[in-house]
Amino acid sequence: MRLSLATRGGMAAPIARRLPPQVLDTDRLPDDAVRELRRLVAAASADPGGAHPAPPARDAMTYTITVDDGPRSATLVSSDTSMSPAFAALLDHVQRHLG
Amino acid sequence: MTPTRTLSCITPPFILTRLLDSDNVEIRQAALATLLTTAQLRGERSVRGLIAGALATPADGRRSIFDCAHSTYLPSARLTRSENDEPVQDASVNRAYDGFGTTRAFFQEVFGRNSIDDRGLPLQGYVHRGNRYNNAFWDGRQMVFGDGDGQVFLDFTGSLDVIAHELTHGVTEHTAALEYHNQSGALNESMSDAFGSMTKQWLLRQTADQADWLIGAEVFTPHIDADALRSMKAPGTAFDNKLFGRDPQPDHMDRYVQAPDTEDGDNGGVHLNSGIPNKAFYLVATGIGGNSWEAPGHIWYESLKASTQTTDFQAFADTTYDKAGTLYGADSREQRVVKEAWAGVGIQITTAPTLGRG
Ligand SMILES: [Zn+2]
Repeated sequence: MRLSLATRGGMAAPIARRLPPQVLDTDRLPDDAVRELRRLVAAASADPGGAHPAPPARDAMTYTITVDDGPRSATLVSSDTSMSPAFAALLDHVQRHLG
Repeated sequence: MTPTRTLSCITPPFILTRLLDSDNVEIRQAALATLLTTAQLRGERSVRGLIAGALATPADGRRSIFDCAHSTYLPSARLTRSENDEPVQDASVNRAYDGFGTTRAFFQEVFGRNSIDDRGLPLQGYVHRGNRYNNAFWDGRQMVFGDGDGQVFLDFTGSLDVIAHELTHGVTEHTAALEYHNQSGALNESMSDAFGSMTKQWLLRQTADQADWLIGAEVFTPHIDADALRSMKAPGTAFDNKLFGRDPQPDHMDRYVQAPDTEDGDNGGVHLNSGIPNKAFYLVATGIGGNSWEAPGHIWYESLKASTQTTDFQAFADTTYDKAGTLYGADSREQRVVKEAWAGVGIQITTAPTLGRG
């Protein structure tokens, strides 16, 4: 499985859009971590939250997580101030493993 | 108030505002008395605001700083420092607390504005939000700061103008409520940069000529070849490096960026085209000379309050010209500088001179 994270908007929006997407390749992860990631992807797919930042937000970021998992692929989009807890959990997991 | 001296009634209101901040109680009282009695100014909304500001209790705009402990879920954050608490171990918490205090004092003492809503709204800040989060934002009620990834960005609380930028989004929301897309959105961004930069200049007591006019000079790691996120003095020159290229901000209408009104297009390039009104404000401040937060800041603040959700660059420019005439006189030097500044970024003032309204 391969996940890529693209970030748009924010206080530094012109810079964010020029940074390459961050890619997480699960080949390097232990099996239990991959299982956990699949569970998080399924939960976030079922309920990603709002695709756009809540209207009063300023400098909020929007995240696009693209999942390539064999024949299945999915694109999940959500934003600061509108993401569901499930999307937040997936984003948190992806960002921690990218670091 | 009767035994108190009043100062010369030709003392400009922005000087009186500064005097309200004096350590000398006699000077402070004289300034207040002058503001109350000067016939020329009596009934002016801005002056009533100044007086209300001078009399406001310090309990207004109370600060609360929360530690998100890297969560994105704000309700689970822990309250770490409240108003009047001593500094804590966490430097991010203290920087947010101090930055709010400085910005609150700037709006209070310079514009007589009592916190974000002018009614003492408590100031709530959230630090250590998310994992390696490269951003700071205003969510409609509170200000939220990330630590940065440590590779490109550092902690966003490290920059006072970034903190003041976010707080100013609240002020804009409670005044013009400029819609966050296309030109009104770029104006919204520019207000945050202008008042953010003024807050820093005011704290450092820098004149317009001395100031660096940079936004977020402290947010990059030492590995990154960038001066700042943006330059108001020279939009388009804040950075030029291999990792993310050259600063794309325009400094003139000839280079206005037509970006899609989507999140991918930064809502019509709100963080790009803000370079145009940013440059105009810089030209006004250096053209008038002295401190940006005096006449230039007052012209901008009054214009922000007189703007609406859909105000565009042209309408805002016309409003600043009108306000410069109202505050400093028709065909005053201030008003002429405002006109030249907008012409310098490719916007010609279309309002007729406001004769007799000075
Ligand atoms: Zn902003």
